[in-house]
Amino acid sequence: MKDDIKLAKWLDGKMTERELQEFEALPGFETYRKIKEYSGVLTAPDTDIENIYQNVTRNKNKRSSVRKLNPWFAKIAAMLVVTLGLTYFFYTTHTTNTIAEAGKRTEFLLPDNSSVILNADSEAEFRTWNWDNNRKVELEGEAFFKVAKGKKFDVVTNLGTVTVVGTQFNVKARENRFDVTCFEGKVIVKSNGKEVTLTPGRSVAFENGKNINIPLEEGQQPGWITYEVNFHNEKLTNVIDEVERQYNVTIDLPERSYSNFNGLLPMNDLNTALDNIATVYNFEIKREGDKIILTSE
Amino acid sequence: MKKNSLSSICEEITFSNFFKDHVKSLRNYLFYKFGNEEQADDVTQEAFIKLWQNCADVPPEKAKSFLYTVANNTSLNHIAHQKVVLQYVKRNKHTHTDDQDPEFLMEEEQFKIKLQKAIAGLTEAQRTAFLLHRIDGKKYHEIAEILGISIKAVEKRIHGALVELRKEIENMR
Repeated sequence: MKDDIKLAKWLDGKMTERELQEFEALPGFETYRKIKEYSGVLTAPDTDIENIYQNVTRNKNKRSSVRKLNPWFAKIAAMLVVTLGLTYFFYTTHTTNTIAEAGKRTEFLLPDNSSVILNADSEAEFRTWNWDNNRKVELEGEAFFKVAKGKKFDVVTNLGTVTVVGTQFNVKARENRFDVTCFEGKVIVKSNGKEVTLTPGRSVAFENGKNINIPLEEGQQPGWITYEVNFHNEKLTNVIDEVERQYNVTIDLPERSYSNFNGLLPMNDLNTALDNIATVYNFEIKREGDKIILTSE
Repeated sequence: MKKNSLSSICEEITFSNFFKDHVKSLRNYLFYKFGNEEQADDVTQEAFIKLWQNCADVPPEKAKSFLYTVANNTSLNHIAHQKVVLQYVKRNKHTHTDDQDPEFLMEEEQFKIKLQKAIAGLTEAQRTAFLLHRIDGKKYHEIAEILGISIKAVEKRIHGALVELRKEIENMR
């Protein structure tokens, strides 16, 4: 028998008679015998078996109920993921849209607290999400921007882009007409591949892509803010359009050529505005509800 | 397989009986391993819960080995161990002590204490094998199954444990 398992055989009572006799004669035997005897009466500390069983069954029941819920859990998780995904998608692509209807104005704040006053019949759109990296306002119509200091952003219109740095400026993009006036700070206007830098008081205007001269602006803000619009050598049709927008009315103008209009028109007093125009062009004014018919005298 | 699973561990009665048959040895084994009752109880509980959770996949004849495998794997995360403290079964005084002379009784007590100390000084491998045999009365092949080793390896451990115990006890003299 191999020596390295001899004692194991003895402990297990598997030694042959002869092996046992030899072993008992060895000096260590007495100690081994005692080890065997006393280790046989050792005991491990008791534990609360019932308690362990309770814990196991409690947990197994918990598990089985969880199992039943598993498909639901997966469904709910999937729904959550989809919902979150959609929310994220809509949130990131969500644009804040502000509209000023004809005859009305709207003032709103951009995420950086720059203020925008939308003139009548205008629309502005921007993304709240990631504004800091995507300062961009899309504009249709006319708006006056008071941009917080040090904030750079773009006003994008279909007629050109205005890049601004801490400034106040007016942008008008209507049909074929693109006007930008700077009131404070610096404004860079890009339109039709041309780039113009405006300093306070300066304006740039394009009609059908052609540059039009606009006199120096003396006010601190565009006239329309205070309901007084100063027209400089403006086509009468454009003036009439503006009056229509501001008062939300329809104006019938006899078809013929007119000299350009120069002068101030109030935008909160329709009768005076119409009187001023009528005086200049010798019109007779007839009103039918929201419809105004101008006829030559 | 599906038919078998009806009489499987998933059955409350089968599970309960299996639990009663094996909880004590598993728990003792883990106690010999850790020397800590709480850890032993925790891992025992965990192993049985895992068995229950996987009852559909574990045929009854594999349940025991599954149980110990789980326990052994779970034990890897537990840092061994405190000294294993074992008690002696209290003997019936009348049958033994009356006709023994006091010197012998004192020697016996001293030897018992030495044995306790020596067992605590064994390696984990020797101690678990030795105690499963001595306390739980496990056969070598059962110990082999529990420890996931060969019967030969169990015998070597037991032999080694005895040699070590004798050496320790005789050195304590």
